[in-house]
Amino acid sequence: MSATTLRARSADPRRVREMAGRVGWGIVAWVVSIGFFLPVLWMVITAFKPESAAETWPPQFVFRPTLSEFSLVFSGMGPYLTHSVIATVGSTILVLVLGIPAAYALSVRPIKRWRDGLFFFISTKMLPIVAAIGPLYVIALHTHLLDSIWLLIILYTAMNLPLAIWMIRSFMLEVPSELLEAARLDGAGQIREITSVILPITTPGLVSTALICVIFAWNELFLALNLTITNAATMPMYLISSVPQEGLYIAHLSAAATVASIPVIIVGWIAQRSLVRGLSMGAIK
Amino acid sequence: MAVIETSAAAPEVGIRPRGVNRRERWQRRLPLLPALIYIVVVTQIPFLVTLWYSFQNYFWNIPGGAHWAGVSNYTAVFTNAAFRAALVRSVVMTAIAVIVAMILGVAFAVLLDRKFFGRGVARTLIITPFLVMPAAAALVWSGPMLDPNFGLLNWLLEPFGVNHVAWLSTHALGSVIVVMIWQWTPFMTLIALAGLQSQPAETLEAAKVDGAGAFATFRELTIPHLRPYIELGILLGSIYLVNTFDQVRLMTNGGPGTSTTNLPFYLYQEVNNAFDVGGAAAAGVVTVVLTIIVATFALRMFARVFQFEEAGV
Amino acid sequence: MANVKYVSATRVYAKDTPPAVDALDLDIRDGEFMVLVGPSGSGKTTALRMLAGLEPLDGGRVEIGDRDVTFVSPKDRDIAMVFQNYALYPQKTVAENMGFALKMAGVHKDERARRVREAARLLDLDDALLDRKPKQLSGGQRQRVAMGRAIVREPKVFLMDEPLSNLDAKLRVQTRSQIAELQHRLGITTVYVTHDQVEAMTMGHRVAVLSGGNLQQCASPRELYENPVNQFVAGFIGSPAMNLQTVPLADGGARLAGTVLPLPGPIQTAAKAAGLSELVLGIRPEHLHLANGSGELPGDVMLVEELGADALLHVRLPGGGDPVVARAEGRRPPAMGQHVTLHVQPEDMFAFHPVTGARLAG
Repeated sequence: MSATTLRARSADPRRVREMAGRVGWGIVAWVVSIGFFLPVLWMVITAFKPESAAETWPPQFVFRPTLSEFSLVFSGMGPYLTHSVIATVGSTILVLVLGIPAAYALSVRPIKRWRDGLFFFISTKMLPIVAAIGPLYVIALHTHLLDSIWLLIILYTAMNLPLAIWMIRSFMLEVPSELLEAARLDGAGQIREITSVILPITTPGLVSTALICVIFAWNELFLALNLTITNAATMPMYLISSVPQEGLYIAHLSAAATVASIPVIIVGWIAQRSLVRGLSMGAIK
Repeated sequence: MAVIETSAAAPEVGIRPRGVNRRERWQRRLPLLPALIYIVVVTQIPFLVTLWYSFQNYFWNIPGGAHWAGVSNYTAVFTNAAFRAALVRSVVMTAIAVIVAMILGVAFAVLLDRKFFGRGVARTLIITPFLVMPAAAALVWSGPMLDPNFGLLNWLLEPFGVNHVAWLSTHALGSVIVVMIWQWTPFMTLIALAGLQSQPAETLEAAKVDGAGAFATFRELTIPHLRPYIELGILLGSIYLVNTFDQVRLMTNGGPGTSTTNLPFYLYQEVNNAFDVGGAAAAGVVTVVLTIIVATFALRMFARVFQFEEAGV
Repeated sequence: MANVKYVSATRVYAKDTPPAVDALDLDIRDGEFMVLVGPSGSGKTTALRMLAGLEPLDGGRVEIGDRDVTFVSPKDRDIAMVFQNYALYPQKTVAENMGFALKMAGVHKDERARRVREAARLLDLDDALLDRKPKQLSGGQRQRVAMGRAIVREPKVFLMDEPLSNLDAKLRVQTRSQIAELQHRLGITTVYVTHDQVEAMTMGHRVAVLSGGNLQQCASPRELYENPVNQFVAGFIGSPAMNLQTVPLADGGARLAGTVLPLPGPIQTAAKAAGLSELVLGIRPEHLHLANGSGELPGDVMLVEELGADALLHVRLPGGGDPVVARAEGRRPPAMGQHVTLHVQPEDMFAFHPVTGARLAG
């Protein structure tokens, strides 16, 4: 029934306006994005400069790139990297192990006073850790945990657990109740319910939560700075140590900053959708 | 979404035997216990120790350990101008950073809400500052960005008449706040974006038919819709931003003078430099109490944020 | 008050895909209640949205009141729309919802309040509800607020996109008549989309049946029922649906389940002219009469649907094939499994081309 000739999009003034608007919008958005990203870009560019090219006026955009600063960074960062990885991965695993059952008890099969429980967890995040740093130091000293990677794992877990519970809980609430009822009718107990029904469905949410825990643990400076020296020093500490008291340092600093930040940046980029889900949805429900 | 919960062994008879109820209740509490105990031990014990030390006279560099000092530490805290100044500064820094980050966040979210070429990449770029290690951000901004002689910012602003400004000396507080904003805007952006994308499209179409232009729609519909998201962003952002330490320590070390010293940095200095464990503990306790007071007010104001989804029975 | 015209209106979503709306030509008179009906994917909602300005046209044009509005934005078309999910503004009160368009048009606060109250009264919305938010209302109340939002504007055209589909059955029937009555009272041209042919038949002055983006037939409900122009319309309009079966032609008639049913002359002529050896036979359930043993179609009752006043019999005819549905008196219907015979008058039979679906000799 149709042999209609279609009108060109360009003949429709509304659509032309729409397309022009879209292009303009895109340009603005790109300018803003690149502008906002500029410091990171500059950091990475500077990292490839030899020190002499980093401290110039005007700043150089064209130069002969070198990996000399990077090799310096790599040669020194070994133990710091290891400590960071252990502390981050260890604490994140512990957070999940503790947090999943706790979130379960606050969402799917909630305890009677789940609101109080949730509030308690969140309230621990409201108390500034800085307030307890002195006594923490003393406690760590007496328990021989000072400068130990275990101390960091313990503390990072406590640091991330409240937010993780909140996020995991909101993801669990999304599990359709029909699935849970069906499982219960099939005779599934609590453990089976968690492992067979809830975990598979909330896996994306768990990934988001783990991601956020990794970001906060990896980047954490205050506790590491005050409670470790050598045996558990993490990447943020290494970064600080790369700033010498005097002398040229901008390129070296940039290289160290780049190396220190890259793991989390790359992970965040790849799992971007998870991150977005976690930050926005996990926090709001 | 309500989860309909039926008691595990509900008999046909109306009266439930009490024993079953109790067992069921403890069964439900069990999964919570490991996390609960862990948090209590790791956070409350140090707090109690802090409390104890706050009443002690305990200096690292003075041999002899801790002696009872009554409330002298507390009076010292309240009469200490430096503490009060740090407190005020913390509030100011947090407030400015949170508000500006939220405004920028909403603006960026609006930008990212429409389709355009390469939107995914643009979003990736905007997220990145949040991922950068705060310590790294602090150092990169101090050096390559804000250095008076080699910094990029001075070069970018040169056409506008800005001449080799030593940002960290003359505008130290502003510089630190800028970095705080830079790192937390992505967080606000993502929350605002979630809010924007949860607006039902039909409602926006209805507004179009009802004669609302873009600005009117934004003002009348979008902003009210975003309110709970904005409140959540402000709440969560404040919790993290009030504890800002890395940038202060690494960019300005609290200075020049004490112009960028906020509460976390002040407490750090008390412990590290003044070796005054007792004094720092008292200051810490006061901080905690103040935080609880503020948080209680904030929670009451933002009660809507805690829209706890009705968990099951 | 205005008439509405679709002139060759076309909408194609993606290149090289069949159009969602294909060269639609429709003339809607001023003050008319026109129903666009069809199964999902038929293009009816798209056509409505094209009229609203929410979908662009890839071909043809749309006119409101003899004015070409193809490139005019929705707010300048002087239309009001009731959405399927009501699309009420969640953070605004009922009064604010209803007065929103007026506020956008710059109408003064007092005038707004007056018109909102008037519309609320028209729709039986209690004054107390005016200060509530949508989430505090029941489904039926929300629906009325959505209608009120449209009425308050006194537009040239009302557009309604399946406004009853989210209501429960009883409320739906009630609201149906209220809408029809309201439209009659206000006299505003209305274009109403639904997939429910009962709604279409009971509410519309005229009904446009769409399928696959194409207009099948546009006529009054009675005309559609008695004179469907093709197989699709015949099978779509009328509940329970017309019995349709492909049957081979035999001498003087068509062979249905072993019996030769005599076909009216015109149909036979048309079939012969088209060179057909089979056609699609259509018989409405109420035209299949229970004949006590003397009917030409024997069969066994498979299922009896008792509706009170009527009963619907699903009768399996010999030779297999789908069972036919016949309407019988409700008082003493045959039992399941019973053997019955059915009779049909030749002039009550419809015939359609087996390939094109076009009506033969209508």
